[in-house]
Amino acid sequence: MPFDQLDLKRAIDGDERAMQRLWSQHAPHIDAVVRRLCDDAELAADISQEVWMQIFRALPSYRGDSQFGTWAHRIAVNRTLNALRKIRRIAKLEVDIEDDSAMTETDTDRTFVAESIQQAMSKLSPGARAVFVLHDIEGYTHGEIGEELGITSGGSKSQLFKARAKLRKLLAHLVDESPTVVVKGKAHVAPV
Amino acid sequence: MSHLSEEQLDRIIAEERLREQAPLNDWRTIAARAREEGLIRESQSSRWWASSQPWLRSAAAVLLLVGGIAIGRATIALPSAVQSTASKSTPAANANFASVDDASAALNRAVDDYQRASEFLAVNNASTGSRDSLTMYTKRAAALDKIENATVSALQTAPHDPVINQYYLATMGARVATQQQLVARPVGLRGF
Repeated sequence: MPFDQLDLKRAIDGDERAMQRLWSQHAPHIDAVVRRLCDDAELAADISQEVWMQIFRALPSYRGDSQFGTWAHRIAVNRTLNALRKIRRIAKLEVDIEDDSAMTETDTDRTFVAESIQQAMSKLSPGARAVFVLHDIEGYTHGEIGEELGITSGGSKSQLFKARAKLRKLLAHLVDESPTVVVKGKAHVAPV
Repeated sequence: MSHLSEEQLDRIIAEERLREQAPLNDWRTIAARAREEGLIRESQSSRWWASSQPWLRSAAAVLLLVGGIAIGRATIALPSAVQSTASKSTPAANANFASVDDASAALNRAVDDYQRASEFLAVNNASTGSRDSLTMYTKRAAALDKIENATVSALQTAPHDPVINQYYLATMGARVATQQQLVARPVGLRGF
C-alpha cells in the first residue's frame, strides 16, 4: 500500500497503524543506509531507532517538496553520521589501507556477495566507508558528501578513490571463487 | 594479487544497492519508543470514542441504529412484526431522557432490539437472493467502505465536528445494514 497523504496525516496525528505502514514501507531502505554506514550491527540497530524517532518527530515539518523516502533518507544519513561523530568513530577521515582487522563470524542467511561486500566495507576507515556508501550506493554527489561530512569535494573524491581501490583488492576473490565452496565461518575477504 | 576491474566493482555495488535488507528493529521496539515519547496515540476509533462526550456517544449509537434500520427498511420489505418492534423501540422517539443512565439503558434496549431484528432479517429475508440485488449490495458495501475511510480521516482533522460525525455514523449505519443484506447471519454492531 503506498504511503499517501492520508496516511501521512494519520501518522502525524499519532495513528500507530499509519506509522507502522510508513515504517514497513521505508525501513528496508532507511535501515540499509544506517547499517552500511555503521560496521556494527548492534550500533546500527540503536541508531536506527533514533533515526525513526527523529523521522516521526519531524513528520509535521515534512512539506512534500521531495519524495517522502528521500526526505526520510536525509534524516537517516544526518542522524547516523551525527551519532558516529559522537562516538568518535568518524573523527579520522584518512583511509588506513594497512588496517586488516579480524573478520567477524558470518551469518549463514546472507548471500555470499552481500556478505563479502559488507565485510570489505568494514575494513574501510569510517570516513572512507561513509564516502563510499553515500556516493556509490546512495547516489550522493561529492558536493553533498562534503557538506554532510564537513570535508571538501576534492577530499570526498580522494576518499572514494582510495576506498574503491581497496575494495577492488578485497573483493578480488569474487571473480575466482564460487559461493558453493565457501564453508560457514570462513572469511570471505581476501587478505590485502 | 589480483584486483577487480572498476566495472566489476560497479556491478557488485549495483547488486548491493538493490539488495533488500530486513529492518534492523521490529515494529514493537520502534512503537514502544514512539509511545514513550507520546508520538503514538490511541487508535483512531478508540481515541474518538474515548474523547467523545457521553451525549455524543449516545447520539452516535442512536444514529447508527436508526440509520441501519432505515436502510434495512428501504432496501427490503420489512416483515410487519419486526417493523412494529423497531418502531416501538427506536430511541429517537424517546429523546427526553432524565439522565445519562436513563439514556444508556434505552440505548442498551435499542441495541438488543437491533440485534434481534438483524437476526430475524438474516433468517427471513428472501429478497437478497437474486443476482441483481447481490451485485447492488456488493457495490454499495464497497462504496460505503470508501466513504467510511474518508470520514474516519476527516474525523482526524475535526474529531468533534457534528456534521462530520453525522456523516461517519450514517455511513456506519448504512454499512451495517448493507452487510446484513450480503451475509446471511446476524450482524453485530461493529465499531461499538
